[in-house]
Formats: sequence, C-alpha cells, structure tokens
Amino acid sequence: MEVPSRHRPLVLLVAVILAQVLLLAFQIRRDRDVRLIRVWSAELLTPLQRAGTFIVTKTDGLWFGYIDLRNVRTENRNLAEQVGELRLKNQQLQGQAAQAVRLARLLGFRQANADIPMMAAEVIGANADATSRTVFINRGEQDGIRRNMAVITPDGVVGKISEALPHTSQVLLVTDRESGVGTLLAGTRTHGVVKGTGDPLLWMDYVSTDEKVPSGEEVLTSGEDRIFPKNVPVGWVASTKAGFPFQTIEVTPAAHLDRLEEVLVLTTEKSLNIHSPAEANSPSQQNPPEAKQQQNADALANAEVSANSKPLQATAKQSAVKAAPAKKPTAQTGNPQ
Amino acid sequence: MTVRMGSESQHIEVHKFYAGAVLGVCFLALVLQAFLNRFSPRFGILELPLLVVVYFGLSRRNSVIGLLLGTAVGLLQDGISHTPIGLYGIAKGFIGYIASSIGARLDTEHPISRFILMFLFFHIHQVLLALTMRLLLVQHAPFFTVHLLISSLLNSVIGVFLFAGLDRLRKQ
Repeated sequence: MEVPSRHRPLVLLVAVILAQVLLLAFQIRRDRDVRLIRVWSAELLTPLQRAGTFIVTKTDGLWFGYIDLRNVRTENRNLAEQVGELRLKNQQLQGQAAQAVRLARLLGFRQANADIPMMAAEVIGANADATSRTVFINRGEQDGIRRNMAVITPDGVVGKISEALPHTSQVLLVTDRESGVGTLLAGTRTHGVVKGTGDPLLWMDYVSTDEKVPSGEEVLTSGEDRIFPKNVPVGWVASTKAGFPFQTIEVTPAAHLDRLEEVLVLTTEKSLNIHSPAEANSPSQQNPPEAKQQQNADALANAEVSANSKPLQATAKQSAVKAAPAKKPTAQTGNPQ
Repeated sequence: MTVRMGSESQHIEVHKFYAGAVLGVCFLALVLQAFLNRFSPRFGILELPLLVVVYFGLSRRNSVIGLLLGTAVGLLQDGISHTPIGLYGIAKGFIGYIASSIGARLDTEHPISRFILMFLFFHIHQVLLALTMRLLLVQHAPFFTVHLLISSLLNSVIGVFLFAGLDRLRKQ
C-alpha cells in the first residue's frame, strides 16, 4: 500500500514516536538501560563539558583580578599596574591554596583509609534536565570504575555510579529522587533509609514516631545497602515532623553537593569501615593534636597534588595545618556498631 | 538563503543556514544546559535544547527535518540525564514536527509571535513529558505549576533574543 506524499511526514512522526514508546517500554519491562545511546551522548558531549570546565577554572582568577585591576586604576593610575599585578597574583595563590586544602583533605582521608581501594576523580559536568541530580566525573570503565560504586568526599556521601562509560562516569547524587541510602542515627543507632527529594535537603524514612530524634544528630551510612561502607557521614538532622507510623526527618547533606570539584570513588564492593584521618593518624588516639597536624602536613608535602612549585607546597602545608583544627570532629563517625 | 515556495497565494520562506550551524547550535545548547546545571540547580529553569528545536523547526519549515532534529536533540538530552531514553526524544520530536508545521503557515519572524509560540511550545512540551511519565513510567509529573509558568515566561523572553541572534546564522 502506497502512502500519499502529503501524509508521509505524519506517518514518519507516528513511526518515530512509536519506536521511542517501544524503547521506553523495553527499558521498563526489562529494567535495563539503552547503554549505546548513553555512551554516544556522553562521548559526544562530555569532551565539550570538560573543555568548558577547564576554561572556566583557568580564567576565574584572571577575570576577578582584571576587575579589581580596573577599579584600582581609576583611583591611582600610577600605582594601578603594580596593585593589579599583586591582586592577580594573590587571587591565583588563594585559588591554589584553596585547591591545596581540598586536595590535602582528600589525601588525608585516603591515607587514613589506605586499605580501601579508592580513586580520586574530578567533576566535569552535570545533567541536562531539571528533574534529575547527576554529575559526570572524568573517570570511566577504563580506569576500573563500575556501576553502583560508592562516591564520597571526606565530608560525606556524594552518591553512586549510575553509568560507567569508557572515559567518564555518571554519578547519581544522593539528592536525586531515585537515590536511597541505608543509614542509622549516630546517637541511638536507629536504622532508616535516606532518600533524595530533588531538593537540597534529604528525607530519612522508616524511623518510628516513638523514637526521639534531636535536631543536629549525625546520620551515618549503615552499610546495609551494600553500596556504601559503614559509618560514612550522610548528613545532620535538620528537622523532624511526627507522622504515622513513621516520622518525617529532614536531613542536611554532609557533602557540599552544590560545589563538588573533586570526589573519591570507592573501587570495591566489599563491606568496609571508613576511618576519619584523625583516627588513622593516632594508633591509640593518644597523640597530641600537633602531632596529627604534623603528620597531615608531612603527608601533603610528599603528595603529588597539583603543586608544581616549592612555594605552593609550603603554602599548602601551612593551609593543611591551619585547616586541621577547624575541621568537624569526624573521629566519632568511625564508631563501629 | 531564502527559498520561496508554494502557490501564488501562499509564499513560504524557507531559511537555510551555514554548514554546521544547526549541529553546532544544538550541541552548544545541550552542553551549556548541562554546564549551567553544574553550577546551580536554579539554571534548571532554562530549556535551551527546547529553544533551539523550536527555532530550527520554525525556520526550516520542513516537518520531517523538524521531527528528526527534535528527536535527536531529545535523545542526546536523555543520554546525558538520568531519564529513560526516549522521554525527551518523544516530546522534542513532536515539538519539532509541530513547530515546522506551524512555521509553514504562520508569521514566525515577529518577536511577539515568537514569544507566544515559545510560551505555547514550552507548555505543550511539559504536557507531553507529563503524559509520557504518567502513562508509560507510572511516575507523577505535573501538567502545570506556578514554577512552570515562570519558567515558560522566562524561556519565552530568552527565546525572543536568542532567535534574533540565531537569525544571523541564516544564509543571505
């Protein structure tokens, strides 16, 4: 049967829509993803995202330095160049110092958990829709990343690998509606499930209304979901609301999910216990704080952080020493059940 | 290049673009959308891929090209989002088709008509997404909210300026 030419576009529309409906039905029925399209999409678009991230990172300090320079020039033309250069250099150093502090924390965490295989990765992009909360990292299958591996920072849980592509991976953040983490309350050891809502706050579910949950109580992973190791910080209780049979608990995420730059992927699926850097640095927890700080600083000096010059290593070393006492006391998070 | 076609009573201008401009703009819209979402979820209010699908649909005025371009952009958007493959593909394919069909019948060069069309296409797109999610994925999705209204108005305003900028990519 021949289709009249004026109806051909309509027939094509129906065919294309029908094909995609079948594709959706296939994914739902088999609970499987169409990996080929995801790989192609990521391979096409993530290099551009990576390039954009690189350019923004490198020009950020320069841009603000330039604005400062212009303001100073209007005040005093003769001193403008000198002041501008110093400001620019200061911005660059501040950026490098901030990066060094972040990397020192990652390194400290990694050294504290030397027995756990983990891999550092850089966040290079995000999702392209408003309904999901995902990011892309610059490590993929070729680096040993696999689906469902846990992704964390020293602050706490970030999410899990939802797609491992050849050169990049997609991380499903804990704030995504489809996320769920087996958790417990640090004080009472009451178990529950923390779910994403699509908003910055999380919900902890399945905690009985009879249970008293104070605001600010720490929420840790329970390890029951077989994705996240036990005792990784998930967040803090923000508020509670009575319900039946379970109360509604809002949880503030421990990790800074809105400004992720570097993350750690736990490249194992075994059951693990996470230690804070303080725990690992003090075999009997009797070392004075200064000794812990010195260990952190020494570890940093030996590390291959992106510091290429000796002055930067010295800056980072000082930053690590300054940062250590201000850090939240995560030693208690290593408390095994 | 502008091509006039149709009967004596109907003159439809079909605009052609410089080589690679369509692909480049579509890629840029997808990358920019993902790139902005990385810095703040507030940028989720933008729908840059939809804007470019509507623009090229209205300009090319070929329903087959509009359908295929919309489907391709939608599938790529699905590919880098945590959504089932086909969700945005269906919605954007349909939008590309109707944008091309409407572009062949109405004046789509005036800023006011572009604003109104973009506003309507945004809500049709949302209704299609919500229908697909409700019927096929058994997930709740709203047809209309105040947030969506604000989003549609914002995207329509951006569309007016973006479309004027994209007009420069047309072959003279």
